Amino acid sequence: MMAARRPRVAALVTEYRKYSHGQNIVDRLMGGYGWGSRWHQPELDVVSLYVDQFPESDLSRERETRHDDLRIYPTIAEALTLGGNELDVDGVVLIAEHGVYPKNEQGQTLYPRYEFFQQTVDVFRASGRSVPVFCDKHLSWNWEWAQEMVAISRELDFPFMAGSSVPISRRVPSVDLPWGAETEEIVGVGVGGIDSYDIHTLEGMQSLAERREGGETGVVAVHAMRGDAVWQALDDGAWDAALFEACLCRSFSLKPLDESHRHTYPTREELPQLVGSPPVAYRIEYADGLKGTMFLMEGLVRDITVAARLADREDPLSLLFYLGAGHQMQPNFFNPMCHHIENLIVHGKPPFPIERTLLTTGLSIAGVTSLWQGEKFETPHLDINYQVDESSTFRRA
Amino acid sequence: MATPQRQKLAIITTFWDWRSHANHMGERFLCGYPRDGRWHRPAFDVAGVFVDQSPGQDVSRQRAEECGFTIYSTIAEALRLGTDALAVDGVLLIGEHGDYPANDKGQKLYPRYEFFSQIVDVFRQDGRSVPVFNDKHLSYSFDKAEQMVAAARELDFPLLAGSSLPVTFRLPPLELSLGCHIEEALMIGVGGSDAMDFHALEAMQCMVERRQGGETGVAAVQLIEGDAVWQAGQQGRWSRRLLEGALARSDSRSGIALSDGRPQNLAHSGELEELVEKPAAYFIDYEDGLQATLLMLNGAVQDSTFAARLGGAEGEVVSLQFLLPGAPNVTYSACLMQKAEEMFVTGRAPYPVERTLLTSGMLERCLESKVDGHRRVATPELRVSYQAPAASHFGGAPTD
Repeated sequence: MMAARRPRVAALVTEYRKYSHGQNIVDRLMGGYGWGSRWHQPELDVVSLYVDQFPESDLSRERETRHDDLRIYPTIAEALTLGGNELDVDGVVLIAEHGVYPKNEQGQTLYPRYEFFQQTVDVFRASGRSVPVFCDKHLSWNWEWAQEMVAISRELDFPFMAGSSVPISRRVPSVDLPWGAETEEIVGVGVGGIDSYDIHTLEGMQSLAERREGGETGVVAVHAMRGDAVWQALDDGAWDAALFEACLCRSFSLKPLDESHRHTYPTREELPQLVGSPPVAYRIEYADGLKGTMFLMEGLVRDITVAARLADREDPLSLLFYLGAGHQMQPNFFNPMCHHIENLIVHGKPPFPIERTLLTTGLSIAGVTSLWQGEKFETPHLDINYQVDESSTFRRA
Repeated sequence: MATPQRQKLAIITTFWDWRSHANHMGERFLCGYPRDGRWHRPAFDVAGVFVDQSPGQDVSRQRAEECGFTIYSTIAEALRLGTDALAVDGVLLIGEHGDYPANDKGQKLYPRYEFFSQIVDVFRQDGRSVPVFNDKHLSYSFDKAEQMVAAARELDFPLLAGSSLPVTFRLPPLELSLGCHIEEALMIGVGGSDAMDFHALEAMQCMVERRQGGETGVAAVQLIEGDAVWQAGQQGRWSRRLLEGALARSDSRSGIALSDGRPQNLAHSGELEELVEKPAAYFIDYEDGLQATLLMLNGAVQDSTFAARLGGAEGEVVSLQFLLPGAPNVTYSACLMQKAEEMFVTGRAPYPVERTLLTSGMLERCLESKVDGHRRVATPELRVSYQAPAASHFGGAPTD
């Protein structure tokens, strides 16, 4: 039997500075990371790098010097062909997060994921061959483009994985939604702003919701709100209060009113004081009747939690997506992502359907649009059906 | 349905400011705490409190006014709530923090034994005993710790003690199967002595006590420091494979990982030896032949991790991080108070106090080794036998 050649990988990043997504992912693929009870050295070689922006704190040139195998190319096409005439790598890692890019009037940062992707598939087409592609976070800020990316991956028949590290990170407790469970409502409480961080909480919620009875059948409408409207909806009983409480009680960072270490649960009156910036809620109507609500409550918490009401149990299912203790710790939530990227490239198997990220991309865009329009946004285009396996893909023993 | 009758608690503590153990633990009974995805409000009222030292930053008086409990000037009064007989249903003994002298072994002489003795005096005089939770080790002195456990046995009251590490969250949520074969174990801890090494030793103990044959005690201990720690590793006294296993579970940032973001294989890169300011190794030789090592690696890591090589042909290495969520919630202390509350409710300690008794003794003897030329100390008195609980008691442990 012939020894298999180690897969060669091209990494396309917007920027490569300390703790940018590009640095976190590519450094782990090149240098290894803790996995299981070992230091894991991935069975692949990152051989080419395309870097869109070089801030003063750039580290890509230092990495090129450090790694004999690695070369920075001035274009995506050259990074994929290694300067030759046709595709010469076995996998592509596309990380278009961080860097200076314009924002549109709706508040979305116009990261060039679609543009990088298009230049990648141009090489695939010209070479008559495609290889697995990983796209960090959502697919695009533009719904039509996101759809097109998935359609092209089907047309050219290459394994395509995308999304946030949240669904595949550690969970506390380390549980999943029981596969096939009849699910009535799901609530997620997260942090950060729309477009940048909503995708993380949405993907965390979706990674549970998609396991429900009947699988995923899509979303018919998203009604997003901000500020006092969120508290008004809370008072109106717009979501299951026990699910909201379950999320806060799974948080490791629930802010007490008295910050001098009085460990209190916030009262209704305290909530608006504790949320630093105006709270955001995306109310999601799934096609099968499942009700979802995603909150961004920066200040009240600093982490991402989820809770679900299942038909066959009294207490909500709830958990924390554990991403580390803020900036005191290494962002090792990139470890499971790198584990899945390696599997994708070595074995050609995405861990979960790309439709998950297509749907969450659409939910993020729908939320931003609904906020912009100030009303409920109908989403017939999110008629996205997919099924996941029973096996879980988050990080655990 | 009748509302269950609320019960009364006494808190006996050395010192109560915002960052003290008394606060982190007492507040759970005053304000409630997150438990299994709910804000749980214990059916207990803190009624009597004794605080040994009340300097300027004391908040017990403020909390007494806000929450309606009474601060008494003696332990006996706090337990009797000003009456002539024991009037509480449980006691939290929190002898941590405050200005107390240290001995020549570097142990801070917190008056846990002395407080406990006064509690037991009330139990004896009033002919009735109630469950007692003792924070951290039982005493700096193994002799005194033994007397505490003996008194609890004699008067037949539940006694729970120890660190929050055994009951906090674990990454991954690993529990060793009861009766497993453990060939070798290694714990990595951080912080000073004798505050933080106790936590690490008890975390290690809660894992290894599940081995085949149960716990039968410790035959000898040794504490070494400095370059001797690395030399002992080269000589095979502790396992670099287990060091790699434990460090694979660490999320700490230091050295190159901190300066330019690249995760480092500290077990093998040589960087560890540069980062650690003053390494220490605590060698624990158990009666049944198991050898376990605690490495204190200040400067390189900020978290607590464990690895063990299990028996069998594969010699599988397992590992985990004892996760200590930080401010503002420090929920590990809620995990610990959940266990204290379970004892107050059921009248049974969820895990044996012998775990803490043995750990208290291991620590004291290790510190004797430290100040006595780092020599090996035989510990015939540490033949403490007990069986680990079948159930898991750590945060978020699977209950199915």
